[in-house]
Amino acid sequence: MSDALLQVRDLTKDFTVRSGNALFGRKSTFRAVDAVSFDVPPGQTLAIVGESGSGKSTTARMVAKLIEPTSGTLSLHGEDFTHARGQQLARFRSDIQVVFQDPFSSLNPKHTVERILAAPLDYQGIKPAGGRRAFTRALMEQVGLNPDHLLRYPAQFSGGQAQRIGIARALAVAPRLVICDEAVSALDVTVQAQVIDLLRRLQQQLGLAYIFIAHDLAVVRRIAHRVAVMSKGVIVEQGSCQDVMRNPRDPYTKTLLAAIPQINPEWDRRRQENAKELA
Amino acid sequence: MSPLLAVSNLTVSLPASGGYADVVRSSSFTIGEDDTLGIVGESGSGKSMTALAIMGLLPRGGRATGSVKFDGTEILGMADRDLRHLRGAVMSMIFQDPLSSLNPYYTVGLQIEEAYLAHRGGSRKAAHKLAAEAMAEVGIPDPAVRARHYPHQFSGGQRQRIMIAMALICEPKLLIADEPTTALDVTVQAQVLKLLARLQAQTGMGLLFITHDLAVISQVARRVVVMRDGEQLEYVTTEEAFCSPRHAYTRSLLEAIPRIDDALTEAP
Repeated sequence: MSDALLQVRDLTKDFTVRSGNALFGRKSTFRAVDAVSFDVPPGQTLAIVGESGSGKSTTARMVAKLIEPTSGTLSLHGEDFTHARGQQLARFRSDIQVVFQDPFSSLNPKHTVERILAAPLDYQGIKPAGGRRAFTRALMEQVGLNPDHLLRYPAQFSGGQAQRIGIARALAVAPRLVICDEAVSALDVTVQAQVIDLLRRLQQQLGLAYIFIAHDLAVVRRIAHRVAVMSKGVIVEQGSCQDVMRNPRDPYTKTLLAAIPQINPEWDRRRQENAKELA
Repeated sequence: MSPLLAVSNLTVSLPASGGYADVVRSSSFTIGEDDTLGIVGESGSGKSMTALAIMGLLPRGGRATGSVKFDGTEILGMADRDLRHLRGAVMSMIFQDPLSSLNPYYTVGLQIEEAYLAHRGGSRKAAHKLAAEAMAEVGIPDPAVRARHYPHQFSGGQRQRIMIAMALICEPKLLIADEPTTALDVTVQAQVLKLLARLQAQTGMGLLFITHDLAVISQVARRVVVMRDGEQLEYVTTEEAFCSPRHAYTRSLLEAIPRIDDALTEAP
């Protein structure tokens, strides 16, 4: 598949752990991610779902080059960047950006929003056309925030707004792929719906591809084109979102889907009818 | 007969810049025996503060007015000394994060024993045996051995089971569960919800279940209180809340529930 934006092949990560005593315990290796392969086409969303400890975040971190894979290859537009360093790495960093789970801990509390949004440009050594102020104002508008709030600090925003700042920062360098690592998990359900709508709108406007890491299958349903289900470091099933949700083949996927709390079907039918009337 | 718990016109205020701010405004509801009431709302809606006010555990400087009657006795404003006889004995509470509610320096067996000894007394040996039984009851395998382990040696789901064992060892009449499954994986959440339902069927306790997850509420609660910004917007049967919500906010909450069978609609 040469039309893929991102190609991941046999990606593996081993961590060294010591049993018992942290200093003198016997060393052993723990394989957090085991030979994971997938493609992300341009402008599409791949969701990686799984429970805690399944290796989904470790996979995301390797793709973002935040940690080194033990083996396997990563390529973007057909160019291998598994061991990219220096100039080459900086170039990939402008193509792949990350939005993290907790917006407040990933935004420097002592920097103004303007400084936070311009930081990726400074890192890349880019001078935006029209100047910093105009550029960051446009970013704020793009994610639905008031551009007049540029000189505020992160603590002056709500959780949903702070996550929008995180998204705006990711967009500053015009990436092709944005990795959302549990980016909406910490948000209230109404705010979550708004941020998902924003991500989808940005995808349409900018042709972004997403890797969407989540543990909530119902959230994934709203954004993903394809889904990969991970358990114990392995992708146990991947396919189109429809197929995986409607006709899961792997027993673990079935367990995961069955465990989602269900609303009484009769109530849910009436809930959806009410929603339609309003629309 | 008076209900197990009757809350009327409960208002909670916390110190804020230049005075007090109401975080719960005249909330009223009741819970009977073998009955489950759900409280839903988003962060900052006042659902946890309602629970803490009932337990007499408001943060320093917090004030509660109105009335909270437990088994017909007014407990709001009761002296801490007297409340202590009730907490953990006839009413218990479990929290979202079990790891921060367990003492890392003591074995879990000892911590469950303490909960029993504090209220029922008796010999440590007898309490120890009860603690192991309680751990077996909540589904911890090999309880006699596991009782000698420390909190960090358990998974998140097991820790929440241990908290439930500790909360229920004195067989309270009321259990307040504040987001008990929010930090758990979905398969573990399903197990914990099943466990709570089984224990309620066995003991006939009243359950106050606080969550932001409407799907969970639909499974556990018969009636539901919907809160927003300290205001009690609805107090209705769960069926009414889902099928004929009166308040616009309840409708928007219901619309925002991500559902597995929602059609993947085109982005705007």
